[in-house]
Amino acid sequence: MARSYLFIPANEPRMLQNAYVFEADAIILDLEDSVAIEEKHEARFLARGFLRHHPRGSAKTYVRINTESDWLKQDLSMLEHVPIDGIVLPKLTLKMWNTYKKHAESIGVDTDIIGIVETPDAFFELDALGDKTPIKGLILGGEDLVSALKTTRSIEGRELLYPRSMVKMACARHGILAIDTPWTTLDETNLKTDIKHARTHGFDGKCAIHPNQVPLINEALSPSKESIDFARRVVEKHETTKSMRFSLDGQMIDKPVLARAKETLAKASRYGLLKEGLNENS
Amino acid sequence: MGKQFITGSLESSDCMVTLYETTTPVIEVDTIVHEAFHDHIVTLINDTLKAENMEHLSVRIQDKGALDYAIKARLLSAIEQYKDDSNG
Repeated sequence: MARSYLFIPANEPRMLQNAYVFEADAIILDLEDSVAIEEKHEARFLARGFLRHHPRGSAKTYVRINTESDWLKQDLSMLEHVPIDGIVLPKLTLKMWNTYKKHAESIGVDTDIIGIVETPDAFFELDALGDKTPIKGLILGGEDLVSALKTTRSIEGRELLYPRSMVKMACARHGILAIDTPWTTLDETNLKTDIKHARTHGFDGKCAIHPNQVPLINEALSPSKESIDFARRVVEKHETTKSMRFSLDGQMIDKPVLARAKETLAKASRYGLLKEGLNENS
Repeated sequence: MGKQFITGSLESSDCMVTLYETTTPVIEVDTIVHEAFHDHIVTLINDTLKAENMEHLSVRIQDKGALDYAIKARLLSAIEQYKDDSNG
Protein backbone atom coordinates (compact mmCIF):
# COMPACT_ATOMS: atom_id res chain seq x y z
CA MET A 1 0.00 0.00 0.00
CA ALA A 2 1.24 3.49 -0.79
CA ARG A 3 -0.04 7.03 -0.41
CA SER A 4 1.92 8.71 -3.21
CA TYR A 5 2.74 7.30 -6.65
CA LEU A 6 5.26 9.57 -8.39
CA PHE A 7 5.62 9.36 -12.17
CA ILE A 8 9.23 9.55 -13.36
CA PRO A 9 9.87 9.93 -17.13
CA ALA A 10 12.00 6.93 -18.04
CA ASN A 11 14.14 8.84 -20.53
CA GLU A 12 15.46 11.45 -18.09
CA PRO A 13 18.55 10.25 -16.18
CA ARG A 14 18.46 13.36 -13.97
CA MET A 15 15.01 12.40 -12.72
CA LEU A 16 15.76 8.69 -12.59
CA GLN A 17 18.81 9.00 -10.36
CA ASN A 18 16.81 11.12 -7.93
CA ALA A 19 13.71 8.94 -8.09
CA TYR A 20 14.08 7.62 -4.56
CA VAL A 21 14.96 10.89 -2.84
CA PHE A 22 11.55 12.52 -3.20
CA GLU A 23 10.08 10.28 -0.46
CA ALA A 24 7.21 8.97 -2.58
CA ASP A 25 5.86 5.69 -1.27
CA ALA A 26 5.93 4.39 -4.84
CA ILE A 27 7.55 5.48 -8.07
CA ILE A 28 6.27 4.73 -11.56
CA LEU A 29 8.90 4.81 -14.29
CA ASP A 30 6.96 6.02 -17.28
CA LEU A 31 7.51 4.60 -20.75
CA GLU A 32 4.15 5.91 -21.96
CA ASP A 33 2.82 9.46 -22.12
CA SER A 34 5.85 11.33 -20.79
CA VAL A 35 8.21 9.78 -23.36
CA ALA A 36 8.18 11.07 -26.94
CA ILE A 37 7.67 8.45 -29.65
CA GLU A 38 11.19 8.87 -31.01
CA GLU A 39 12.64 8.38 -27.52
CA LYS A 40 10.80 5.22 -26.52
CA HIS A 41 13.54 2.91 -27.72
CA GLU A 42 16.17 4.65 -25.63
CA ALA A 43 13.82 4.95 -22.66
CA ARG A 44 13.46 1.16 -22.51
CA PHE A 45 17.22 0.70 -22.26
CA LEU A 46 17.52 3.43 -19.66
CA ALA A 47 14.68 2.04 -17.54
CA ARG A 48 16.13 -1.46 -17.73
CA GLY A 49 19.61 -0.25 -16.80
CA PHE A 50 18.26 1.81 -13.93
CA LEU A 51 16.16 -1.01 -12.54
CA ARG A 52 18.93 -3.56 -12.80
CA HIS A 53 21.89 -1.54 -11.60
CA HIS A 54 20.82 1.55 -9.66
CA PRO A 55 20.50 1.04 -5.88
CA ARG A 56 16.87 0.55 -4.91
CA GLY A 57 15.24 2.90 -2.44
CA SER A 58 12.45 1.95 -0.09
CA ALA A 59 9.70 3.05 -2.50
CA LYS A 60 7.71 0.45 -4.39
CA THR A 61 8.85 0.50 -8.01
CA TYR A 62 6.48 0.18 -10.94
CA VAL A 63 6.80 0.71 -14.69
CA ARG A 64 4.03 2.18 -16.85
CA ILE A 65 4.20 0.51 -20.23
CA ASN A 66 2.65 1.31 -23.59
CA THR A 67 -0.41 -0.55 -24.81
CA GLU A 68 0.03 -0.22 -28.58
CA SER A 69 0.76 -3.76 -29.73
CA ASP A 70 4.38 -3.42 -30.95
CA TRP A 71 5.42 -1.15 -28.10
CA LEU A 72 3.67 -3.40 -25.59
CA LYS A 73 5.76 -6.36 -26.72
CA GLN A 74 8.97 -4.33 -26.74
CA ASP A 75 8.29 -2.89 -23.29
CA LEU A 76 7.53 -6.32 -21.84
CA SER A 77 10.61 -7.86 -23.46
CA MET A 78 12.75 -5.15 -21.90
CA LEU A 79 11.26 -5.87 -18.47
CA GLU A 80 12.05 -9.57 -18.56
CA HIS A 81 14.14 -10.54 -15.49
CA VAL A 82 14.08 -6.96 -14.22
CA PRO A 83 13.28 -6.51 -10.51
CA ILE A 84 10.07 -4.47 -10.19
CA ASP A 85 7.05 -4.53 -7.91
CA GLY A 86 4.62 -4.38 -10.77
CA ILE A 87 3.49 -2.97 -14.09
CA VAL A 88 1.12 -0.06 -14.51
CA LEU A 89 -1.15 -0.87 -17.42
CA PRO A 90 -2.83 2.17 -18.99
CA LYS A 91 -6.13 2.21 -20.87
CA LEU A 92 -7.22 -0.92 -19.03
CA THR A 93 -10.30 -2.66 -20.41
CA LEU A 94 -11.11 -6.37 -20.63
CA LYS A 95 -9.92 -6.35 -24.25
CA MET A 96 -6.66 -4.68 -23.23
CA TRP A 97 -6.26 -7.12 -20.38
CA ASN A 98 -6.53 -10.10 -22.73
CA THR A 99 -3.97 -8.57 -25.09
CA TYR A 100 -1.61 -7.89 -22.19
CA LYS A 101 -1.98 -11.43 -20.79
CA LYS A 102 -1.23 -12.99 -24.17
CA HIS A 103 1.98 -11.04 -24.62
CA ALA A 104 3.05 -11.29 -20.97
CA GLU A 105 2.65 -15.06 -20.96
CA SER A 106 4.53 -15.52 -24.23
CA ILE A 107 7.42 -13.37 -22.98
CA GLY A 108 7.36 -14.78 -19.46
CA VAL A 109 6.60 -11.61 -17.52
CA ASP A 110 4.66 -12.41 -14.35
CA THR A 111 4.22 -9.50 -11.95
CA ASP A 112 1.54 -7.52 -10.15
CA ILE A 113 -0.57 -5.12 -12.19
CA ILE A 114 -2.06 -1.75 -11.39
CA GLY A 115 -4.48 -0.79 -14.12
CA ILE A 116 -5.42 2.72 -15.18
CA VAL A 117 -9.10 3.07 -15.95
CA GLU A 118 -9.55 6.07 -18.18
CA THR A 119 -12.09 5.23 -20.86
CA PRO A 120 -15.89 4.94 -20.71
CA ASP A 121 -15.57 1.26 -21.69
CA ALA A 122 -13.54 0.56 -18.56
CA PHE A 123 -16.22 1.98 -16.30
CA PHE A 124 -18.72 -0.59 -17.55
CA GLU A 125 -16.20 -3.36 -16.82
CA LEU A 126 -14.84 -2.27 -13.44
CA ASP A 127 -16.24 -5.19 -11.49
CA ALA A 128 -14.78 -7.75 -13.89
CA LEU A 129 -11.44 -5.91 -14.06
CA GLY A 130 -11.14 -5.74 -10.28
CA ASP A 131 -11.58 -9.51 -10.15
CA LYS A 132 -8.64 -10.28 -12.48
CA THR A 133 -5.48 -11.79 -11.06
CA PRO A 134 -2.90 -10.29 -10.54
CA ILE A 135 -4.53 -6.85 -10.68
CA LYS A 136 -3.70 -5.31 -7.30
CA GLY A 137 -5.11 -1.86 -7.80
CA LEU A 138 -6.87 0.58 -10.10
CA ILE A 139 -5.81 4.13 -10.89
CA LEU A 140 -8.49 6.57 -11.94
CA GLY A 141 -7.16 8.23 -15.10
CA GLY A 142 -9.06 11.47 -14.75
CA GLU A 143 -7.54 13.49 -17.56
CA ASP A 144 -8.26 11.03 -20.36
CA LEU A 145 -11.65 10.24 -18.92
CA VAL A 146 -12.86 13.85 -18.83
CA SER A 147 -11.60 14.28 -22.40
CA ALA A 148 -13.65 11.27 -23.46
CA LEU A 149 -16.64 12.75 -21.63
CA LYS A 150 -16.08 16.07 -23.40
CA THR A 151 -15.63 17.99 -20.19
CA THR A 152 -12.69 19.30 -18.12
CA ARG A 153 -11.28 18.89 -14.64
CA SER A 154 -12.50 21.37 -12.06
CA ILE A 155 -11.38 22.11 -8.56
CA GLU A 156 -14.84 21.16 -7.29
CA GLY A 157 -14.35 17.75 -8.88
CA ARG A 158 -18.02 17.22 -9.69
CA GLU A 159 -17.14 15.75 -13.09
CA LEU A 160 -15.26 12.95 -11.32
CA LEU A 161 -17.68 12.37 -8.46
CA TYR A 162 -19.31 9.34 -10.06
CA PRO A 163 -16.10 7.86 -11.58
CA ARG A 164 -14.31 8.17 -8.22
CA SER A 165 -17.21 6.43 -6.50
CA MET A 166 -17.27 3.67 -9.10
CA VAL A 167 -13.52 3.01 -8.90
CA LYS A 168 -13.54 2.97 -5.12
CA MET A 169 -16.57 0.68 -5.02
CA ALA A 170 -14.98 -1.85 -7.39
CA CYS A 171 -11.69 -1.76 -5.49
CA ALA A 172 -13.40 -2.18 -2.13
CA ARG A 173 -15.42 -5.12 -3.47
CA HIS A 174 -12.30 -6.92 -4.65
CA GLY A 175 -9.95 -5.85 -1.88
CA ILE A 176 -7.54 -4.01 -4.16
CA LEU A 177 -5.98 -0.55 -4.00
CA ALA A 178 -7.87 2.52 -5.19
CA ILE A 179 -5.50 5.19 -6.47
CA ASP A 180 -6.63 8.65 -7.47
CA THR A 181 -5.80 10.57 -10.62
CA PRO A 182 -3.03 13.20 -10.43
CA TRP A 183 -3.74 16.90 -10.16
CA THR A 184 -1.97 18.34 -13.16
CA THR A 185 -1.15 21.88 -12.11
CA LEU A 186 1.36 22.75 -9.43
CA ASP A 187 -0.66 25.16 -7.30
CA GLU A 188 -0.66 23.91 -3.74
CA THR A 189 -4.12 25.07 -2.68
CA ASN A 190 -5.94 23.34 -5.53
CA LEU A 191 -3.87 20.20 -5.08
CA LYS A 192 -4.90 20.06 -1.42
CA THR A 193 -8.54 20.36 -2.44
CA ASP A 194 -8.17 17.60 -5.01
CA ILE A 195 -6.49 15.33 -2.45
CA LYS A 196 -9.48 15.93 -0.18
CA HIS A 197 -11.73 14.56 -2.92
CA ALA A 198 -9.61 11.41 -2.98
CA ARG A 199 -9.67 11.14 0.78
CA THR A 200 -13.43 11.67 0.95
CA HIS A 201 -13.93 8.74 -1.41
CA GLY A 202 -11.58 6.55 0.61
CA PHE A 203 -8.80 6.27 -1.94
CA ASP A 204 -5.64 4.59 -0.65
CA GLY A 205 -3.23 6.65 -2.72
CA LYS A 206 -2.88 9.37 -5.30
CA CYS A 207 -0.63 9.86 -8.28
CA ALA A 208 1.86 12.73 -8.46
CA ILE A 209 3.37 14.24 -11.57
CA HIS A 210 5.88 16.47 -9.76
CA PRO A 211 8.07 15.75 -6.73
CA ASN A 212 6.65 18.84 -4.95
CA GLN A 213 3.26 17.13 -4.83
CA VAL A 214 4.57 14.14 -2.86
CA PRO A 215 4.77 15.58 0.69
CA LEU A 216 1.29 17.11 0.40
CA ILE A 217 -0.18 13.79 -0.70
CA ASN A 218 1.67 11.82 1.97
CA GLU A 219 0.50 14.15 4.70
CA ALA A 220 -3.11 14.35 3.56
CA LEU A 221 -3.49 10.58 3.09
CA SER A 222 -1.95 9.73 6.46
CA PRO A 223 -4.10 9.35 9.56
CA SER A 224 -4.12 12.55 11.59
CA LYS A 225 -2.63 12.63 15.09
CA GLU A 226 -6.13 13.08 16.49
CA SER A 227 -7.50 10.07 14.62
CA ILE A 228 -4.55 7.93 15.72
CA ASP A 229 -5.08 8.93 19.34
CA PHE A 230 -8.81 8.23 19.15
CA ALA A 231 -8.23 4.88 17.41
CA ARG A 232 -5.72 3.85 20.05
CA ARG A 233 -8.17 4.64 22.84
CA VAL A 234 -10.98 2.77 21.06
CA VAL A 235 -8.83 -0.34 20.71
CA GLU A 236 -7.52 -0.08 24.28
CA LYS A 237 -11.03 0.22 25.72
CA HIS A 238 -12.23 -2.70 23.60
CA GLU A 239 -9.34 -4.84 24.80
CA THR A 240 -9.94 -3.82 28.42
CA THR A 241 -13.72 -4.31 28.44
CA LYS A 242 -13.90 -7.08 25.79
CA SER A 243 -17.08 -5.31 24.75
CA MET A 244 -18.13 -4.83 21.12
CA ARG A 245 -20.38 -1.94 22.05
CA PHE A 246 -19.42 0.89 24.35
CA SER A 247 -19.22 4.68 24.47
CA LEU A 248 -16.12 6.83 24.24
CA ASP A 249 -16.05 10.63 24.28
CA GLY A 250 -19.82 10.57 23.92
CA GLN A 251 -19.68 8.45 20.75
CA MET A 252 -21.14 4.99 20.51
CA ILE A 253 -18.48 2.52 19.44
CA ASP A 254 -19.53 -0.66 17.70
CA LYS A 255 -18.04 -3.19 15.29
CA PRO A 256 -17.51 -0.95 12.22
CA VAL A 257 -16.01 1.86 14.32
CA LEU A 258 -13.68 -0.64 15.99
CA ALA A 259 -12.67 -2.01 12.59
CA ARG A 260 -11.90 1.51 11.35
CA ALA A 261 -9.87 2.19 14.48
CA LYS A 262 -7.77 -0.92 13.88
CA GLU A 263 -7.30 0.08 10.24
CA THR A 264 -6.21 3.56 11.30
CA LEU A 265 -3.59 2.09 13.65
CA ALA A 266 -2.40 -0.34 10.97
CA LYS A 267 -2.02 2.52 8.49
CA ALA A 268 -0.27 4.68 11.07
CA SER A 269 2.12 1.83 11.81
CA ARG A 270 2.80 1.28 8.11
CA TYR A 271 3.76 4.92 7.63
CA GLY A 272 5.83 5.16 10.79
CA LEU A 273 3.37 7.42 12.60
CA LEU A 274 2.45 5.20 15.53
CA LYS A 275 5.65 5.65 17.50
CA GLU A 276 5.44 9.39 17.03
CA GLY A 277 1.90 9.39 18.39
CA LEU A 278 2.86 7.28 21.40
CA ASN A 279 5.75 9.57 22.29
CA GLU A 280 3.50 12.60 22.16
CA ASN A 281 1.06 11.04 24.54
CA SER A 282 3.52 9.45 26.93
CA MET B 1 33.27 8.12 -41.03
CA GLY B 2 30.26 5.96 -41.92
CA LYS B 3 26.73 6.14 -40.66
CA GLN B 4 26.33 7.44 -37.12
CA PHE B 5 23.99 6.21 -34.42
CA ILE B 6 23.34 8.86 -31.79
CA THR B 7 21.59 8.36 -28.46
CA GLY B 8 21.17 10.33 -25.24
CA SER B 9 21.34 14.05 -24.69
CA LEU B 10 23.55 16.81 -23.37
CA GLU B 11 21.28 17.38 -20.39
CA SER B 12 22.74 17.28 -16.90
CA SER B 13 23.30 13.70 -15.62
CA ASP B 14 23.01 12.35 -19.17
CA CYS B 15 25.47 11.72 -21.98
CA MET B 16 25.38 11.73 -25.76
CA VAL B 17 26.73 8.62 -27.41
CA THR B 18 27.79 8.53 -31.06
CA LEU B 19 28.49 5.10 -32.49
CA TYR B 20 30.04 4.63 -35.93
CA GLU B 21 32.17 2.34 -38.08
CA THR B 22 35.76 3.23 -38.93
CA THR B 23 38.72 1.26 -40.22
CA THR B 24 40.47 1.74 -36.89
CA PRO B 25 38.10 1.76 -33.86
CA VAL B 26 38.58 4.61 -31.41
CA ILE B 27 36.96 5.60 -28.15
CA GLU B 28 36.70 9.30 -27.36
CA VAL B 29 35.42 10.47 -24.00
CA ASP B 30 34.68 14.10 -23.31
CA THR B 31 33.50 14.34 -19.72
CA ILE B 32 32.91 17.03 -17.14
CA VAL B 33 34.48 14.70 -14.58
CA HIS B 34 37.61 13.96 -16.61
CA GLU B 35 40.16 13.53 -13.83
CA ALA B 36 38.08 11.23 -11.70
CA PHE B 37 36.17 9.20 -14.26
CA HIS B 38 37.70 9.38 -17.77
CA ASP B 39 39.51 6.05 -17.51
CA HIS B 40 36.56 4.43 -15.77
CA ILE B 41 34.21 5.45 -18.60
CA VAL B 42 36.65 4.15 -21.24
CA THR B 43 36.74 0.80 -19.43
CA LEU B 44 32.94 0.75 -19.19
CA ILE B 45 32.63 1.36 -22.94
CA ASN B 46 35.26 -1.23 -23.80
CA ASP B 47 33.62 -3.84 -21.58
CA THR B 48 30.18 -3.16 -23.08
CA LEU B 49 31.45 -3.31 -26.67
CA LYS B 50 33.23 -6.57 -25.88
CA ALA B 51 30.16 -8.12 -24.24
CA GLU B 52 28.13 -7.22 -27.32
CA ASN B 53 30.82 -8.38 -29.79
CA MET B 54 31.00 -4.86 -31.20
CA GLU B 55 34.67 -4.08 -30.67
CA HIS B 56 35.00 -3.09 -34.32
CA LEU B 57 32.91 0.05 -33.68
CA SER B 58 34.06 3.51 -32.64
CA VAL B 59 32.39 5.46 -29.86
CA ARG B 60 32.36 9.13 -28.94
CA ILE B 61 30.81 10.10 -25.62
CA GLN B 62 30.00 13.61 -24.46
CA ASP B 63 29.33 13.07 -20.78
CA LYS B 64 27.46 15.49 -18.56
CA GLY B 65 27.84 13.54 -15.35
CA ALA B 66 25.88 10.41 -16.27
CA LEU B 67 26.01 7.43 -13.93
CA ASP B 68 27.35 4.11 -15.20
CA TYR B 69 23.93 2.59 -15.83
CA ALA B 70 22.95 5.58 -17.99
CA ILE B 71 26.15 5.52 -20.05
CA LYS B 72 25.79 1.80 -20.60
CA ALA B 73 22.08 2.11 -21.47
CA ARG B 74 22.77 4.87 -23.99
CA LEU B 75 25.53 2.76 -25.58
CA LEU B 76 23.40 -0.40 -25.67
CA SER B 77 20.60 1.56 -27.30
CA ALA B 78 22.99 2.84 -29.98
CA ILE B 79 24.32 -0.69 -30.55
CA GLU B 80 20.77 -1.99 -30.94
CA GLN B 81 20.06 0.69 -33.54
CA TYR B 82 23.28 -0.26 -35.35
CA LYS B 83 22.25 -3.93 -35.33
CA ASP B 84 18.77 -3.12 -36.63
CA ASP B 85 20.31 -1.01 -39.40
CA SER B 86 22.83 -3.72 -40.29
CA ASN B 87 20.08 -6.32 -40.50
CA GLY B 88 18.25 -4.17 -42.99
